[in-house]
Amino acid sequence: MIRLDADRPASFCDGSTRRDFLHAGALAPLGFTLASANRGRAEGKPDTDVNCIMLFLVGGPSQLDTWDMKPKAPAEVRGPFAPAKTNVPGIEIAETFPKMAKHADKFSLVRTVYHTATAVHDTGHQMMQTGRLFAGGIEYPHVGCALGYLKGGRGELPAHVLVPKPIGRTGGNLPHGHSAGYLGKPHDPFILNADPNAPGFKVPDLLPPEYLTALRAERRQKLRDAVDGATSAFEQSGAAKQLDDNFKLAYKLMSSSKARDAFALEKESDKTKDRYGRTRFGQSCLMARRLIEAGVRFVTVNMFETVFDEVTWDIHGSKPFTDIVQMSKEVVPNFDAAYTALLEDLHDRGLLKTTMVVAVGEFGRTPKVNPAGGRDHYPGAWTVIMGGGPLKGGTVVGETDELGYAPKSRPVTPGEVAATIFKGLGLDPHKELPGPQNRPIPLADFNVKPIGELF
Amino acid sequence: MHLRYMLPVLALVWAEPLSAADLRAYPAEVNLGGPNRTQQLVVVEEENGRAVRDLTSSAKFTSSAESVAKVDASGVVTGLKDGEAKIVVTVGGKTVAVPVKVSAGGEWSFRNHVIPTLTRAGCSMGACHGALAGKGGMKLSLRGYDPESDWHVLTRQALGRRVDGTRPAESLMLTKATRSIAHGGGERFGEESAHYKLLLDWITKGATGPKEADAELTKIEAFPPALLTSPGTKNALRVVVRATYSNGTVEDVTKLARFGSSEENVAKVSEDGTVTPAGTGEAAITVGFGTKVTTVTVTAPFANAVNADTFVKSPRHNFIDEHTLKKLELLRLPPSEQCSDAEFVRRAYLDTCGILPKPDEVTKFVADDDPKKRAKLIDALLEHPAFVDYWALKWSDLLLVSSRKLPQPAMWAFYRKVRQSVADNQPWDRFARDVLTATGSTLTNGGGNFFVIHKDTAELAESTALAFLGTSIGCAKCHNHPLEKWTQDQYWAFANMFARVGLKNGDRAGEVLIQSKADGDALHPRTGKAVPPAPLDGKPLAADSTADRRTHFADWLTAPDNALFARAAVNRVWRAYMGRGLVEAEDDLRDTNPASNRELLDALADDFVRSKFDLKHTMRTILNSAAYQRSSKPAKGNEADDRFGSRYLLRRLPGEVILDAYSDLTGVPTPFDKLNSAAGDSTSPTNSFPRGTRAVQVPDSLVTSRFLDAFGRPERVQTCACERTADASVAQALHLNNGQTLNDKLRDKNSVVSKWIEDKLTDAQIVERVFLAALSRKPTPGEAKKFLDILAEAKADPQARREALEDFVWAVLTGREFLFNR
Repeated sequence: MIRLDADRPASFCDGSTRRDFLHAGALAPLGFTLASANRGRAEGKPDTDVNCIMLFLVGGPSQLDTWDMKPKAPAEVRGPFAPAKTNVPGIEIAETFPKMAKHADKFSLVRTVYHTATAVHDTGHQMMQTGRLFAGGIEYPHVGCALGYLKGGRGELPAHVLVPKPIGRTGGNLPHGHSAGYLGKPHDPFILNADPNAPGFKVPDLLPPEYLTALRAERRQKLRDAVDGATSAFEQSGAAKQLDDNFKLAYKLMSSSKARDAFALEKESDKTKDRYGRTRFGQSCLMARRLIEAGVRFVTVNMFETVFDEVTWDIHGSKPFTDIVQMSKEVVPNFDAAYTALLEDLHDRGLLKTTMVVAVGEFGRTPKVNPAGGRDHYPGAWTVIMGGGPLKGGTVVGETDELGYAPKSRPVTPGEVAATIFKGLGLDPHKELPGPQNRPIPLADFNVKPIGELF
Repeated sequence: MHLRYMLPVLALVWAEPLSAADLRAYPAEVNLGGPNRTQQLVVVEEENGRAVRDLTSSAKFTSSAESVAKVDASGVVTGLKDGEAKIVVTVGGKTVAVPVKVSAGGEWSFRNHVIPTLTRAGCSMGACHGALAGKGGMKLSLRGYDPESDWHVLTRQALGRRVDGTRPAESLMLTKATRSIAHGGGERFGEESAHYKLLLDWITKGATGPKEADAELTKIEAFPPALLTSPGTKNALRVVVRATYSNGTVEDVTKLARFGSSEENVAKVSEDGTVTPAGTGEAAITVGFGTKVTTVTVTAPFANAVNADTFVKSPRHNFIDEHTLKKLELLRLPPSEQCSDAEFVRRAYLDTCGILPKPDEVTKFVADDDPKKRAKLIDALLEHPAFVDYWALKWSDLLLVSSRKLPQPAMWAFYRKVRQSVADNQPWDRFARDVLTATGSTLTNGGGNFFVIHKDTAELAESTALAFLGTSIGCAKCHNHPLEKWTQDQYWAFANMFARVGLKNGDRAGEVLIQSKADGDALHPRTGKAVPPAPLDGKPLAADSTADRRTHFADWLTAPDNALFARAAVNRVWRAYMGRGLVEAEDDLRDTNPASNRELLDALADDFVRSKFDLKHTMRTILNSAAYQRSSKPAKGNEADDRFGSRYLLRRLPGEVILDAYSDLTGVPTPFDKLNSAAGDSTSPTNSFPRGTRAVQVPDSLVTSRFLDAFGRPERVQTCACERTADASVAQALHLNNGQTLNDKLRDKNSVVSKWIEDKLTDAQIVERVFLAALSRKPTPGEAKKFLDILAEAKADPQARREALEDFVWAVLTGREFLFNR
């Protein structure tokens, strides 16, 4: 029997047990659901629900050298770069983002995001991806996994895809919040696990290895169907049917031109690829657009895998980390190109109306430049970029003090950012999910409200 | 079955007259706590202690003393003054008398009347004012666990407008609830309702708050205790609920109780306690009032025309079969026939040892004509070395053995303890005691690592309850358990049992020294005080007692009369062999989740205690039963049964077992050479597991394996049987299709495919070999032909033939018959 779960209202303590939704999850393994699971909605009506691309700026961009500059502050605070005007009067960002400056009408800046937890990367990853700090052994689901749990996938495609890889070690040795947490493994995102910018890029497990030709793949299905000696025992079994259905679905996915197509980056022209930038992040953003276009609901793009072996936003200044200048030469143009290419491309294809694009880091940086020419971890205030879908562009929410140390008005918590994403996705931010031991847990806590200024 | 075919069958079976039945009125005697109290009577026709028909509406009621108690036509008895009376109930010429006693008094108590009324009306539920943040500016405790604070909120906050002593009917708590003024929660009850009248009366008489001396609820009972429905009929039956308090008063709390059905597709229950049949099987109607719960069993037999002979003739090997067949007969579920020898040998190897029988073992077993061969095989399997691997894996799941929280040496010490205990068949009570009272070095005394994994006292208490009592008490940490009898006070008394475990680092790497501390308490978060330590439902230790708390707990836990301990263990074993727990989930034992066969669970638990907690004895008993040895093929009429034992339930093999079978069948072992970090964000090489280590022998749930992740191995983070999943997922199918695990084994130059080619085996020989090894049977002629035809297409070219053979083995090893035990 197929148990529909996607549209089930969240239950209370006295409703179903944790196992119920683990079982129900059988339908949505790694974010996949059977197409039939989606037929709860009006048959034949196209699903135009809002999607979301979350760009995770691993390392934590410095608010002062990017989108919340303080040109009047003393030199040791304001940094080496100057602000520049954008296409929205009154909004200025760093001169190092010339492309973004032309698109300020398409995004808004929330300049007063802050958190009060320990200033390690991992806590910020948890809060920005799930809306909460993990405590008491409870791991909360990533926003995209909660969406996948509630809505299932569109057609054969997974609901939530994570590109290119989950965030790796960043020093805190804590979970980063990319998984489905208490919702269970079946709702984890589909993880690409490959670098779309690498030569000969392909998705592991999704497509057959080279030696498995179409002829062999087809023969395998035929041979598999030929074992039928014990049929009568299996006819009545839902679990056995589910197994065979999954093999059919996997085969469909492997051979479905739509699914193959979604991941087939090689179909993009060189010109488009260049526009996004020939970097792992650039090509991941391009992959995100392909996936959204094909019907994926949520794509998480991690800009970096760790903060240790590469030049990232984590600008402590001293080795092995980078400083403000080097970041602005390497990391900033990479983001500037990929982010704006993504906005333009979505806009040109008519997808920006139904696709939110949010770019978040895990914290900001210390306003005072350190002796190594860098800035250290600082969760007191930083800037988050939100736009697309129902979110307003060309707006600034919140103002930090003269030195960028703390919000002066309208402080915003990571939970409120998550609530805003939920609302943008068309979900009630306080809808309850069945948590561990079936305790009802709202998507965002009851006292946490979406950022009203953005709607 | 289509209705058209069902009706004649029903007519045949169920048209018998019901004259043999008894007439009963519930409750059998009525005590009314005051002149304003009432009691609903329920009149039923009963068969063997199960109500089959509600006759209340056709009964005539008369009172012997109208001035003491009156009764109306619907059977509601109302007290008028203190004294005694008798209600005479007449139906179709039969009569029953119900004695009634009315006493003086009748004040409404905040604790015992107002709080239950608000709970019943939904005011204090989690989605309304019971939410952590309250709703609309008013916050009540969840389901009224904190009467003192609720009284304060109702009578003192909001400028006293919620309860208005001068104009009681204007009180916000009434006008909101009746929606005379705007109320976000809608209308909760009308002005004519009993709820409204009670609250109004309470306010009028001064809105007294909770008192220390308030009578305490001691038990609740629901009548009739069991219901038996007839297939195809939808006759509703009413349930009444009676509460007894510590001062001896008894009250009809049907209107204040909450009802639920464990199986909505068997029987539904309305808010007022009316049970309506909805399907077939058995359901527990759960009844909750205050902190007490009880259940009413609804049995709804299947619409099968079965012959009593079917059950008489069905084989009985031991007491399990007596109980199972009794249940099947009551439910009219015909048992499937016994399985074949070939099915049995594969099934018994997999369930007992997690391995496949070798082809010659299958052939020899099938050919053996010893009538006792099954029992002999069972004895041999219980002494098989693979048994130790397999059950050490299961108990390691239970105790969360892993390097997630334990350094490598400590994890190995813990695993060795578990493994040795399985190898020695250590009695379960001794094992539990060893772990729970472990002292000294965790490297010498591996069981002590249980305390290193659960450093937090509350977590330790909860995990212990789940592991050894199969009971989840977590909800009661913050508030009284909403579904069960556990209160927050009990939780903290229980947690306090574990408050005196001291840990300090030893000299060796990974070593922790466990000792009992002389002081320390777990404090109740609401009062900030320590509650005298007490096992669940057990005698508390004096707060100042210096007795070792862990020893006191272990004594209580493993006492022969602690039914929960034995039941929890046998239920886990039953689930492992039968595919579904008598109580499901296997670690969800509670009053409101009764076993599918209570008598059987009790009998198994008693037998387990008598055997001195010998797990192998219980396993042997189950394996030898005719119930275990039934075919998985449904018999006509038992297709829908998934819990009563009419056939063997199909189940997917655990990931570790599948992976080991892949290694064995392809001749290519699985490397376990990497460990995931605890945060899951990196891997590091390990050489702890030499080549050839089996997946079931790996003690560490952090060992890197894409295959095991996809096939639902437990992470061993949280003590919960739900961590291991047998769900089928598309990720599994994708991994088997395109992933490396199976493909690499098949392509390996040392694989069995290479060997077949080298040995010049024919396609027919290979097909037969693979079938025997993987499915413990020969291919049917039809299957053999299909395979040989497909393989023949690729004969010409050696590379093409190898690929075709790989594809053939792949197809058998990914098919449902291979992946499932049947």
